[in-house]
Amino acid sequence: MSQPGHQTQAQESGEIARLLSYVGLLALSAGLFLEAWAIPTSRFEALGAGAFPMLVHACLSLLLVASIAGSLRRIPIDAYGRFAGAAAAWAREKRLVLVLFACLAVYVGAMPLIGYPVATLLFLIVLQITLAPKTRAALAVALVLSLIFSFGLNWLFAEVFNVFLPRGR
Amino acid sequence: MDAFLLGASEVLSLTTLAMMLAGAVAGIIAAAIPGFTVTMAIVLTLPLTFTMDPLQGISVMLSVYVGGYTGGLISAALLGIPGTPSSVATTFDAFPMARNGEPGRALSLGVWASFFGTIISTAVLIVAAPPLAVFAVRLGPWEYFSLIVFALTIVASLVGNSLQRGLIAALIGLAISTIGADPIMGRPRFDMGWELLAAGLPFLVVLIGIFAISQLASEVEDAEAIKRGEKLVDGEIEFETWSVMREVLMRPINLIRSSMVGVAIGALPGAGGSIANLVAYDQAKRASQSPEEFGKGTPDGVVASEAGNSATAGGGLIPLISLGIPGSAVDAILMASLMVHGISVGPRLIMDNADLVYGMFLAMAVSSLMMLVLCVLSMRAFLRVAEVPKWVVVPVVLVCCVVGSFALNNRVTDLYLLAGVGVLGYALKALDYPLAPLVLGVILGPIAETNLRRALMTEPDWTLFLTRPVSLIFLVAAVLSVGWAIRGILKSGKQSRNGKDPA
Repeated sequence: MSQPGHQTQAQESGEIARLLSYVGLLALSAGLFLEAWAIPTSRFEALGAGAFPMLVHACLSLLLVASIAGSLRRIPIDAYGRFAGAAAAWAREKRLVLVLFACLAVYVGAMPLIGYPVATLLFLIVLQITLAPKTRAALAVALVLSLIFSFGLNWLFAEVFNVFLPRGR
Repeated sequence: MDAFLLGASEVLSLTTLAMMLAGAVAGIIAAAIPGFTVTMAIVLTLPLTFTMDPLQGISVMLSVYVGGYTGGLISAALLGIPGTPSSVATTFDAFPMARNGEPGRALSLGVWASFFGTIISTAVLIVAAPPLAVFAVRLGPWEYFSLIVFALTIVASLVGNSLQRGLIAALIGLAISTIGADPIMGRPRFDMGWELLAAGLPFLVVLIGIFAISQLASEVEDAEAIKRGEKLVDGEIEFETWSVMREVLMRPINLIRSSMVGVAIGALPGAGGSIANLVAYDQAKRASQSPEEFGKGTPDGVVASEAGNSATAGGGLIPLISLGIPGSAVDAILMASLMVHGISVGPRLIMDNADLVYGMFLAMAVSSLMMLVLCVLSMRAFLRVAEVPKWVVVPVVLVCCVVGSFALNNRVTDLYLLAGVGVLGYALKALDYPLAPLVLGVILGPIAETNLRRALMTEPDWTLFLTRPVSLIFLVAAVLSVGWAIRGILKSGKQSRNGKDPA
């Protein structure tokens, strides 16, 4: 049983993940600060196009440095060794989220090539069948909905709203 | 009086009422779909009004407007996804309330608060349009920048578990808003030479990605539950129309304060419902005797957000009617509609076309009543959404998000941004960063930068922010707001320490 004030392993892994996010964000923010620094000022105004971004990234970088220092203080040394295992377990537990994002990436990537109706039909069929209970009724519902929200929605937008969704090449 | 009766006879004619009913339905449905905004619904309605009389056309557009502000509540409460930017704060309490088995109460609270918010704002519009409008247009960039500084202090109410991560999220939002052409000179910034970043990150794509995609991804986290066909909300669904009306009316101070915040922010050109709902929520939380209940499904949060955003409808009309200055994109379209009919909008509008102006006031009130009746009668149908299994809702709403993002600018690159921002939103949510401050940063960033630079271009003297009275009032309010937030944090820290002591 955990003692009061003693962090659980999940909390430690979460804190390490946040520490990694702070470091990544700090690298990005510092890089953008330098890029904003390089933007030349205009002779028409006191502040140039880079002033406001520099202010934002300077504040963000300072906060991130403070957060990194705080996290380093809180995380026990032995927690780092357990992090890879905890991250793999998290990914296994959230596998459907990863599938969802993979399907979304393929869907938006394929849409300019094969067009909205076909891309949406395939996306909805694949994702619904992946998520649904394996029954005939669920399969039938998935097929009908896929047709309505792919070819049906495409027709509605083109004919009623005069908005043309991507047609493909 | 004659002008009022003339306007009333036109608005209350059977044809106009039927068209307004259709407009209110269209507004509610459009705003309930993530990605489709009230502005888009009104733009699509505009060509249909060309053949109508001016007052009839404006009345139909106002009904779409009022219906749209309420529609955003439906997806906010049932899916946790703000249907429009003006319902971001509604998700904070309406969604937890729905998840706690009270989706009907959450929707009913929002509908009644919207109704009262619109009615209060219409009353203010009738009484205070000219003086408020004169005040609003006298504000210069110094006052606007100070107002935004004040609005940024809202972050303190939205930080969730960690003040530090809340501030980081707000700054990430501000940083996102700086990508693309700079708002004054149009100079490209941080686009890395990529075409998809050159135009900046469209606010709505960020909103949909951050809130909708991350929420939908969260719904499929429990693989076993979703395979069992788990529904969005379990438990009995009851709309509780009249008891909720009493519940809303029992919060008169919250209702009136939130509506006044909505009217005041709506009257400021450039601000609008997207800011009003957050400010009203923040004020309600600060004034509450139990602020710790906010974010867990408290009725006060739902009432504040919905009354605040609906009241901007009346507020936005104040500068439009009094001075011919549109307060928001929607008001600009309303103005265009009047101009199409050859009516010049400006200070003489109320003198030359009094029947039209009184008719607009009446149309606002009729629209909100129509919206209320529509919602009371049809809310059971909307509530059926909560009974649909997640394996159906998640993919279908994802497609709606994709279509909505594409339809904004007809750009395929926006879809890549949507997917990227969605992944970022989910990652931040999984790492326990609050998402609301990020969205606040994206909303306020361009307004803050534009007004700061414009102020210093006009007069390169920083002290003007302190010597102009209204600017100083906003800055003092910001300092007080931060002080109040720090006091609250210290107090809750002390309470939690005291709570642990006896153990």
